[in-house]
Amino acid sequence: MIDIKNLTKTFHPGTPSEKQVIRSIDLHVEQGDFITVIGSNGAGKTTLLNLISGSLFPSAGTLMIKGRDVTAMPEYLRATHIGRIFQDPLAGTASNMTLEDNMMITCNKGFKWPVISLNKKMRQRFHKEVRQLDMGLESRMKENVSSLSGGQRQALTLLMTVLSSPDILLLDEHTAALDPRNAAMVMDLTRRFITEKKLTSLMITHNMGHAIEFGNRLIMMDGGEIIIDVKGETKKALTIKKLIDMFGSIRKKTFENDEVLLTN
Amino acid sequence: MIEGIFVEGLIYSIMALGVFFTFRILDFPDLTVDGSFPMGAVIMAACLHGGISPLAGLFLAFCGGISSGAVTAAIHNKLKVPHLLAGILTMTMLYSVNIRILSNRANLPLLRVDTLLTQVHEYTQGFIAPEYASLLFFIIVVFIIKKLMDIFFITDMGLMFGALGNNEQMVRVQGVNPATLKLIGVGLSNGLVALSGAFAAQYQGFADINLGQGIVVTGLASVMLGEFMLTSNKISVLTLRVILGAILFKAIMYLGRYYGYYINMTPNDLKLIAGVLILISLAAANFKDKGKEGTP
Repeated sequence: MIDIKNLTKTFHPGTPSEKQVIRSIDLHVEQGDFITVIGSNGAGKTTLLNLISGSLFPSAGTLMIKGRDVTAMPEYLRATHIGRIFQDPLAGTASNMTLEDNMMITCNKGFKWPVISLNKKMRQRFHKEVRQLDMGLESRMKENVSSLSGGQRQALTLLMTVLSSPDILLLDEHTAALDPRNAAMVMDLTRRFITEKKLTSLMITHNMGHAIEFGNRLIMMDGGEIIIDVKGETKKALTIKKLIDMFGSIRKKTFENDEVLLTN
Repeated sequence: MIEGIFVEGLIYSIMALGVFFTFRILDFPDLTVDGSFPMGAVIMAACLHGGISPLAGLFLAFCGGISSGAVTAAIHNKLKVPHLLAGILTMTMLYSVNIRILSNRANLPLLRVDTLLTQVHEYTQGFIAPEYASLLFFIIVVFIIKKLMDIFFITDMGLMFGALGNNEQMVRVQGVNPATLKLIGVGLSNGLVALSGAFAAQYQGFADINLGQGIVVTGLASVMLGEFMLTSNKISVLTLRVILGAILFKAIMYLGRYYGYYINMTPNDLKLIAGVLILISLAAANFKDKGKEGTP
């Protein structure tokens, strides 16, 4: 699904503050993979997602999505394949618009013509879809999204993104800004939607427990490189202890600032 | 006099609807308005003097407005110029363009030509007084424009404009180029403004290139006054309150012009009053927000 070859990203090249945040990464993502991405702050996780989505362009290397070279394709064109959820619950919805308007905006990708699609049938469909969130939002379809809580907004964003049926789902610590109860709820929904729709996903998390519990593949990044990439049975047998040992033997160092990487 | 307030309010409400579109929905503070309003007026005047039918003139004025708005959006999109500066640039350039349209003149009277209004007066002659015929005519015109806008903003494209003003990232994630939307949105908004200018020229009986001076302030004041009258998240109410705001603004200006001399005010002070009105609205909105949040 995604083919990354020799991908490199350097910020401020040719200046004293030059910084290589991604160092010639190779990554092949299979159709249906659910990859969890971990790594300390500054490891390049978000930059990697930004490169895939097209918010940033690489300094070198190629990026293919579904066999098509998209290295130089602008973000809005790539977006027809990609659904993306950010850490900020406000980033995925339009605050001053109603729930149903928000859902109408996101339910189809691509350019919108001046035609009215929000009809009775659509409303019934949205009503049915929202009911599976089990939050009572179906009775608030005509309220502005700004009246929803952070957890509700993130759950709604997740639902809206899934409804637009993207090929790839990018999740950037999408539960980090939520309280534990809402975070657990959104994680459950994430798992349910990804399994139901067989979405190819990459999920950044700071929670090692989540990284091990979710997905069929785990990659750990450090200093702009992918240092650990486990899948299948090895991934299933993974524990936090094993992961830390692996990191130690690869990097010949221990986590001095464990709290950055390990929030459990 | 009272029907005059309403007629002028209705004419300027078309412009205020354009300002509402950019300032409130697109979150694109667009100053092109100061140039596109007189542009509509001069295109209309040039058409009428050139023997082109008033309806075709309106259409051309609308197109002229769209292209001037599109220029602003293009400057902003392509050269990464901040929207305020892009608007000021277009507005300044339009000043010269407008003089060209009037064949190197600064104003053009429309007293001896057939305008849309004289045609309306001919039709209604005998059963409605001309001033009330104008009022009726503009009520119908503004109602149609308002209805079209209400419908436009519940279409998929219209909703996308709402999303653009709220959250540009959301638009990009949806696979739509925000630059294209801005081009269309700012264009349409200035089309409305030019249309308003074209009507204003016919109503006043002349077109003047200085007609647009400070017009964006008038529009913004109307939008803000309207926001105090009604609160809702329905687009039909939002457009209605812009129209009501524009009429109220004109009423306040009339009061200033006719009774201002009691406190030594002259018509030259009206711009100051308009600015102060906006400041009061801003201050009151701030005060309201504070009350809602309960924090200092």
